[in-house]
Amino acid sequence: MDWLVDPFQAEFVRTGALAAAAVGVICGVVGSYVILRGMALMADSLAHGVLPGVAIAFALTAGAAGSEPNDAALWLGALAAGLVTAGGTSLILRRSRVREETAAAVVFVLMLALGVAIVSRVQGYSVDLTSFLFGDVLGVTDTEVLVSCIFAVGIVALVTMLYRPFLLLSFDPQRAAALGLPVERLHLAMLVLGLLIAPPATAALLTKRLPTMMALSAAIAAVSAPLGLLLSWNLDLAAGASIVLVAVSTFVVALALPRARA
Amino acid sequence: MAAEAAAPAVSSQELTVRYGREPALLDVSFEVPAGATVALLGPNGAGKTTLFRAAIGLARVDAGSIDLASRRVAFVPQRLELEPSFPVTVADVVRMGRYGDLGWIGRFGERDRELVDGALAELGIEHLTERRFGDLSGGERQRALLAQASAQDADIFLLDEPFAGLDAPTHAAMQRLFEQWRDRGRTVLVATHDLESAGRDFDLVLCLNKTLIAFGPPAETFTEEVISRTFAGHVLRVGSLLVDTAHHHHGAG
Repeated sequence: MDWLVDPFQAEFVRTGALAAAAVGVICGVVGSYVILRGMALMADSLAHGVLPGVAIAFALTAGAAGSEPNDAALWLGALAAGLVTAGGTSLILRRSRVREETAAAVVFVLMLALGVAIVSRVQGYSVDLTSFLFGDVLGVTDTEVLVSCIFAVGIVALVTMLYRPFLLLSFDPQRAAALGLPVERLHLAMLVLGLLIAPPATAALLTKRLPTMMALSAAIAAVSAPLGLLLSWNLDLAAGASIVLVAVSTFVVALALPRARA
Repeated sequence: MAAEAAAPAVSSQELTVRYGREPALLDVSFEVPAGATVALLGPNGAGKTTLFRAAIGLARVDAGSIDLASRRVAFVPQRLELEPSFPVTVADVVRMGRYGDLGWIGRFGERDRELVDGALAELGIEHLTERRFGDLSGGERQRALLAQASAQDADIFLLDEPFAGLDAPTHAAMQRLFEQWRDRGRTVLVATHDLESAGRDFDLVLCLNKTLIAFGPPAETFTEEVISRTFAGHVLRVGSLLVDTAHHHHGAG
């Protein structure tokens, strides 16, 4: 049983597992909406869209001195760039008749290129930018775990409160507009929240009820975290990637179940 | 004067909506009285859907205005772009019709349940309640969406091509349902390309092809000239039968 217990002897693995589980709950719940609205590419675009913001914040705070970058600045940079991505996409959608994926892809490519251009100017400084961009699940601090858990609780509370408007919006945005809901703002809120898609995609195959889908995908995501870390420890794989691999394999397993194909 | 004339349910004044430079609707003015069934007739691209979208605030109005007398509006789009695996049952879909009145967290009461059960019965889909919406056939979906609209207990119904893909008996049953809504004082606007049903079944017809071609009771409105201008180039006369040829080009629409 060593293979099961050993990894969690190390504190950084325990912290990482907890953080990833909390993030998993967030992504599972929010990702359910992303999947249902067919916004998977949009969410991906958003995730990559933060690149220039992070790179600029990094260059401004760590650049010249070659010191550690300022955490708050990185968060702000990411948030600002994320909002620019979401806002730009919805602007294109409102001003033209292109499809949602097309608008998302255009902004995505722009932001990515912008980000890469900035990164190329920043490279060479002592701190590695990539670790900030891609994160390291085994390097999270206690504060970050706390923040993730607070966010997870907050998101679950928010989704409980906004369950009806979000359901209407996912089912039929036009109907939601006819009912007088602030569709644009709700849509943006959903977008800004969405990042990870494998657990909700899995859950959608297994249930015909939205609350079940959310609970199921949150559970899949939360369980994928410790399982992924186990895999990572025992097979010496990258930690974050292992978690995603576990989450995606649940999707493949669910596809094979008779109920999902019915 | 005219205290006896009730306010129109739908009032459009020189409504113009453009997509880019292309006008989708140009200078469209009409007033629909409350408690009428109206067929919105025109070929594909005539602006029928745009008119509905402008009425509920989804399309940007470039000039003029379109106003609804009530905020209680049920809009049923032509088709939903829905994930087939979307996890909702037919009962859930019909219950959504009550969300507008219930707000974000209001509890489902006796009246809500009555409206939902009544709508399921009206559309004859009680046996489908526990089925997943995405697993239904096209006609069953259409009925579930109409049940949702009915449960909403709206004053104004905007229905975009509700007859598409329905067999004749179902079509007739839907038409009777719209008439029942009308008899309860509701206003029902139905976008369609079906000339025959528009002329036979509705109180008023509104012939649209980017501009308003004609508006009034079908007996007075349906002249050959009006129909040929509405369907410019798309209508064949086969004996006494008018055929909208655009309707037969499936796919691209």
